[in-house]
Amino acid sequence: MKLKIHILILIFSLTCNLEAQEKYKISWDYKDLSFKEFVTKAESLFAVKFFYKDEWVNDLKLADYPGCMSLPCVMENLLRGTSLYYYIDDSGNIVITRSYAVKISNALIEKENNFIPPTDYPDSGENQQMIGNAFVEVGNPAERYKPGKVIISGYITNRDTKEPVPGVTVFIQKLSTGTISNEYGFYTLTLPRGIHLLQFSFIGMREKKFNLNLNGTGEMNVEMNSMLIPLKETVVSAQKNMTLQRFEVGAEKINITSFRLLPTSMGESDIIKSVLLIPGVQSVGEGSAGFNVRGGSADQNLILLYGAPVYNSSHFFGFFSAVNSDIIKDVTLYKGGIPSRYGGRISSVLDITSKEGNRKEFAGNAGISPITTHLMVEGPLIKDTLTYLLTARTTYSNWIFSLIDNASLRRSRASFYDFNGKITYDLNKNNKIDFSSYYSHDAFRFNSDTVYSYDNNIFVLKWRHFFNSRFFSALSINNSLYNYDISSQDIATEAFVLSHKINSTGLKADFNWFQGRNEINFGVDLNKYTIMPGSYLPASDSSLVIPHIIEKERAWEGALYIDDKFILTNFMSINVGIRMSTFYSLGPGSVMIYDPEYSKSRSTIIDTLNFKSGEVSSRYTGPELRMSLNFRVNDKSSFKINYNRTRQYLHLLSNSTSISPTDTWKLSDYYLKPQVGDQFAIGFYKMLFKNSFETSAELYYKEIKNMVDFKGGTRLIMDEKIEKDIINVKGKAYGLELIFKKTEGKVRYSIGYTYARIFIKSLGNFSEEMINSGKWFPANFDKPNDLVVTFNYLFSRRFSFSSNYTWSTGRPITYPVATYQINDKILVHYSDRNKYRIPDYSRLDLSFKVSGNLKSRRIAHPNWTFSVYNLLGRQNVYSIYFKKEGELIKGYKLSVFGRAIPSVTFSFDF
Amino acid sequence: MKNIQQIILFSFLLLLNSCIVQFIPETDEDKELLVVEGLITDQPGANTVKLSKSLPLGRKYVAKPLKGCIVKISDDLGNTYSLKETVAGTYVTDPAKFQGIIGRWYTLHINTNIAYNNLNYESFPMELRPVPPIDSIYYEKKIIKEKDVGSQAVEGCQIYLNTHDPANYCKFYRWEYSETWEFRLPYTPYTVPNNVCWISNNSDRINIKSTSVLEEDRINRYPLNFISNMTDRLNVKYSILVNQYSLNEDEYLYWEKLQNISEQVGGLYDIIPAAIPSNIWCIEDLNEKVLGYFSVSASSSKRIFIKDHFSGLINLYTDCPADTIVGSGPIPNLNISVWVIIDNPLPPPPTRVITYNKGCADCSVRGTTKKPIFWGDDK
Repeated sequence: MKLKIHILILIFSLTCNLEAQEKYKISWDYKDLSFKEFVTKAESLFAVKFFYKDEWVNDLKLADYPGCMSLPCVMENLLRGTSLYYYIDDSGNIVITRSYAVKISNALIEKENNFIPPTDYPDSGENQQMIGNAFVEVGNPAERYKPGKVIISGYITNRDTKEPVPGVTVFIQKLSTGTISNEYGFYTLTLPRGIHLLQFSFIGMREKKFNLNLNGTGEMNVEMNSMLIPLKETVVSAQKNMTLQRFEVGAEKINITSFRLLPTSMGESDIIKSVLLIPGVQSVGEGSAGFNVRGGSADQNLILLYGAPVYNSSHFFGFFSAVNSDIIKDVTLYKGGIPSRYGGRISSVLDITSKEGNRKEFAGNAGISPITTHLMVEGPLIKDTLTYLLTARTTYSNWIFSLIDNASLRRSRASFYDFNGKITYDLNKNNKIDFSSYYSHDAFRFNSDTVYSYDNNIFVLKWRHFFNSRFFSALSINNSLYNYDISSQDIATEAFVLSHKINSTGLKADFNWFQGRNEINFGVDLNKYTIMPGSYLPASDSSLVIPHIIEKERAWEGALYIDDKFILTNFMSINVGIRMSTFYSLGPGSVMIYDPEYSKSRSTIIDTLNFKSGEVSSRYTGPELRMSLNFRVNDKSSFKINYNRTRQYLHLLSNSTSISPTDTWKLSDYYLKPQVGDQFAIGFYKMLFKNSFETSAELYYKEIKNMVDFKGGTRLIMDEKIEKDIINVKGKAYGLELIFKKTEGKVRYSIGYTYARIFIKSLGNFSEEMINSGKWFPANFDKPNDLVVTFNYLFSRRFSFSSNYTWSTGRPITYPVATYQINDKILVHYSDRNKYRIPDYSRLDLSFKVSGNLKSRRIAHPNWTFSVYNLLGRQNVYSIYFKKEGELIKGYKLSVFGRAIPSVTFSFDF
Repeated sequence: MKNIQQIILFSFLLLLNSCIVQFIPETDEDKELLVVEGLITDQPGANTVKLSKSLPLGRKYVAKPLKGCIVKISDDLGNTYSLKETVAGTYVTDPAKFQGIIGRWYTLHINTNIAYNNLNYESFPMELRPVPPIDSIYYEKKIIKEKDVGSQAVEGCQIYLNTHDPANYCKFYRWEYSETWEFRLPYTPYTVPNNVCWISNNSDRINIKSTSVLEEDRINRYPLNFISNMTDRLNVKYSILVNQYSLNEDEYLYWEKLQNISEQVGGLYDIIPAAIPSNIWCIEDLNEKVLGYFSVSASSSKRIFIKDHFSGLINLYTDCPADTIVGSGPIPNLNISVWVIIDNPLPPPPTRVITYNKGCADCSVRGTTKKPIFWGDDK
C-alpha cells in the first residue's frame, strides 16, 4: 500500500495579478513589522486570510519597499530570496508555501470551473483549532491542471488508542459533499481538484479541519483526538451532515455521548431506552423486553453484537438491556433502508459495535448504581499491536429482597450478570484479527423451589484483511447460543426441568471495494441454526414426569449479496443492492399432514411425512432488493427515496403483548413460511440557520406477509406441532416521522413526532383461524401518536443537564365486554381483539451530571449522575387486568413507576 | 410456570413502588349472547341444560335465564329426548326416560323460539367417556402467618385430591365441588332461635388437570381448594363433595383456554384474551358467538368432612353489637330494624345488647336452618 501524504510542501506564485494589486492597496507603514504583525494588520483591514507555518516566518521582517503599496507587491518583495512563495486566490486566501510555487492560470479555472477556492472563515477563533493553519497537499502537483475529478481517501484513527474510527463525517461545506468513514475508519471522496476545507467530525472527538490542496488522486490519513472529558464533546455536530449524506432513509446513528447524558432509570444507562427515543421506535410498555420499529413486531429486529445475533436482549424481563453500555463504541439503527449486507429480520437492524482496547496504556472505568456495579479495564498487551478490553457487570438486587417485610418475598431471588471480552491483534498493517465474547446470565426464584434462568453466550472471531487501499475484506465466524431453563421441585411427583435452546453459527465474508465513483459491497452470509424447541424432563427420581423432548429443528440459511453506491452527479447518488437468501430446513423430523377441509388440529391429521437426517424438508428462496436514491436539492437539503425487501426465516413465538421470557424461537418449516417485508420510504432533510438546526421528514409504507398469530387462548410452551395453533396473518404499516433538532451550542434540543399505524389481518379459512372475523385490526403495538422531546444544557465542561419527555397514545387492548355464568362460575367474554386502548403515556425524566476535577494527570476522574425518572410521578398504565371479586369483575390498572424514581450513579475513569 | 412469571414480575414491580388502581373500562358493547351450560352424565337422575343470556360488564351479575326454548338431546343411535323447562331457563331430562350410557355420543339441539330471535343451535356430538373413581380427598393445615409474640398463628386449610386411572384412558380431568359448612351465631345461650345454620356453595374456579405429560395416569396432591382464615367455613364443621369428570382433549382445551383468559388476564406476559370457541354453534349464523359448553362425561364423586381446630380464624360477628339497652322497656322497631342478640335478665337491672344487622341475630339470613341429610349427627 502506497501512502502518499505530502504535507506542507507547497505551491507559490510570482505573478501578482493586477486585480489583487488594486484590491489590496496598502496605505500604512509596514516597515520593520514582523511578518505576523503584518498579517494581523492585513487580516484586520482586508478580507484576507493567511495560511502559513509559524516556523517559516519567525525570522521574517518587513523592510521598506519603495513604491510598493499593494499587498501582492509587499509579499513579493518580502519573500524574494527566501524559499517561500505565496498565492492569493479570488476569495482572499493567501497561502504561503515553501520550496514550491503555485502556478495558476485564471483562464483554465474559469473554463473548467473545476477549481474550487477554499472556504472563507469569518470566525478566526475557530481557526485556532486547526492543525497549525496548515495546508495539506495531496497528489502529484504536476497533475493539477488536468481535467476531471480525483479521489482522495485514507484512514481515520484515534490518536490515543490507534483504533480506527468508523462513522466520522468528512465534509466539505462549500461543495456540500462528504462521506462517512466505514467500519475500518476508511473514507473516500471524489472531488474536483483545488483547495478545499475538509472537516472531520465525530462524536466524542475534537473536530479537525484541513486545507487540502488536491492536485490528483491520493491519500490522506487523519488522526483524531478524543476528548478527555466527555462533557465538552461536540455532541451533535458530527451527526448533522451525515443525515444529508447517508443513502438510507431511516438509518439512525445513536449518539453515544448524548446517550450517556440521558436520564437513567434506576441508575443504569440503557442502550435500548435510548433507541426508544428515535421516532418510529416504540415499546408496548415500560420495562417490557424488545422494541417495535415502524410497526414491526419485536422479533423482527436483528440485534447484532460484534456482528453476532443476540437472541434475548434484556435483563430482568426487560427492565435493563443485556448489553453493557461500557463496551459500546457506536450503535446504528436501520429502521428502513437496510444495507444488503444485513438480512434475516424484517423490520430493523440494531448494530452495536464495540470498543477496542486502548492501544497505548492501561485504562478503565468502574461504577456503582442502586441496582448494579460494573468494571471495565482495557489496555495493550503489546503496545499498538495486541489489546484487550474486559467488562463485567452484576446486580446485587438480592439484598433488596431481604429487606422486604414479607416472608414470601424475602425468599425470592433475582439476579443477573454479564461479561464482555475483546482481544484485538494487528498481525501487520494489512491484517487484523479480533476475538470477542459475551456471556450473560439471569436467574430468578420466587418464594418456591421454582427457578427460572436464561443465558446468552456469544463468540466472534473476525479477520480483517486489506488487499489494498480500496479493497477490504472481513471474514468472521460467530456463534450465538441462547437457552432458558425452568425447574420446579414444588411437588415431588411433578418435579420438572423445562428448557429451550437456540444455537446459531454464522460465517460471514464481507468485501468492500472502492472504485472511482462506486463503492461496491459484496459478500456471503451463511448461518446454521439448531433449535431445541423444548424439553420437559423429570427433575428427580420421585418425579412421574414423562421425559418429553420436542424434535430438534435444524436449518441452513444462506445469502449472497452485492450492492453498489454510485455517485451519479454532484447532486445525485444511487445505491442498488440485491441479497439472494435461501433457507433449507433439514431432517430428521416428521411433518403432519392435515385434512384441508378442517382447521388444523390433532384430530384432523391424515398423514405423516418422515424426513431422514439431513434430508431437506422444506426450502425457501427469494431475492431481497434494496434500493435508495439520494438527491441533493441544494447544500442545505436533500431528498431520498428508498425501497427495501427483507425476508425472515426465524420467528419468536409469542402469545402475549410483550416478549415474555418463556417465548420460544422457531424456524420456518413445512407450514411456517418466511416472513417477507416490503418497505417504501421517502425522506426530506434540511439544515436551517447555518446548519445549527436539522430537520427531517420521513414517510413510509410497509407490507408484511406471513406474520404469525395464534388461535385464542393457546399456550405455546411444549407445543408439539405448533402449526395447528398458528394463524397466518399479514400486516400493513404506514407512518410519518418528523424531527427538529438543534445540534449546536450549549443548549441543544430535539423534537421528534411520529404518526404511525400498524394493522393486521388474519388469513385463515376457518372461524377458529380468524381474528375479528378476518377484518383488519390494530396490532398490539399500534400507538399512533408519539412525541419525544429532549433537552440538553451543557453548563460547563463539568456540569451538564439533560431531560427528555415522551408522550404517546396508549396501546390497544382487548377488554372484557360481557359476563356470564357457567356452573356458578362467573366468566367474562371479550371484545374483538384490540378494540380499545389503554390511556395515553407520558413521562418526564431529568438528569444532572457532574464530572470531578478535570486535571488530566489525576489518577481517577470521578463522575456523578443524578437522575429522576418519571419526575411528574405520573401513573402511566403498564397494563390493565381484570379480576373477579365476589360477584363483580373489577378492572385494575397497574403502573410500574407509580412515582418519581430518583437515583445516583457514581463512576470513575482511571 | 405462568404464575411464576407473573409473581416474579409483580414482586419486582412491588420493589419499584408500582401501584395498582381500580379502573373501569368504558365499552360500547351490550349485545346479549346465548350462554349454554349443559352436562350429561351416566348417573341416575335428571340431567340439566341451563340457557341464559350474557350481561354487559361492570354490573353485578344477575342471572338472565332464557325461557321458552325447545331443548333436545339426540344420541348416535338416533334416539331423541326432549328436555322440560322446570325453572325458568333450566331444562331437565326425564330420569325415567333418559340416563347417559358410557360410549354413546350425544348431541344437543336448541331452538330459542321467539324468546331469542327463533334461532337454532346445535352442538358437536360428544362421547360419554368413562371416569375412574377418586382415590382420596384430604386436607393439610397451612400456616398463613407464623405464631408471633402476642398473636397466635393463623392457619388455613388446603384440600388435595388424588386419583389415578389404571386403564390409562382418562388423560384429562375436570372437577366440580360443592362445599357445605355449619356455622353458629356466637351469642349462646341467650340468643334468638335461629342460631345454627348451614351454607352450601359451589366451586367458582375451573379445576382441570391433564396427565398427558405424565408417565402414569395418576394425579397426586391436586390442590383443589384452599380455605383461608377469612371465612367461617372452618369454625364448626365443613364438608366438600367433589365430582370428577373425564374430558376429551377438545373440552379440556376449552376449559384451559377459559382458565387462561379468565383467571390471568391483562398483564404483558398474559395470553392475549380472545373469545373461546364453544362446541355449540348457531345454524343460521355461523359468525354468532355462543358462550358455554355442552359437556358429556361419566362422573364419580367423593365427600369428606373436616372437623378440626384451626387457629386465627376470623370472627365475622365482631361488629354486631351496636348498643346495650338497660332496663326492660319496649324497643322501638324491634325485629324490624333492631334485633336483640344478647338478653341478660340477671343480675338486675336487665340489659339487652341490640344489633341493626339482621344477619347477626338470625343465621338463616346467610344459610339455612335445615340440616343437610348427609350431615351426620355429631355435635
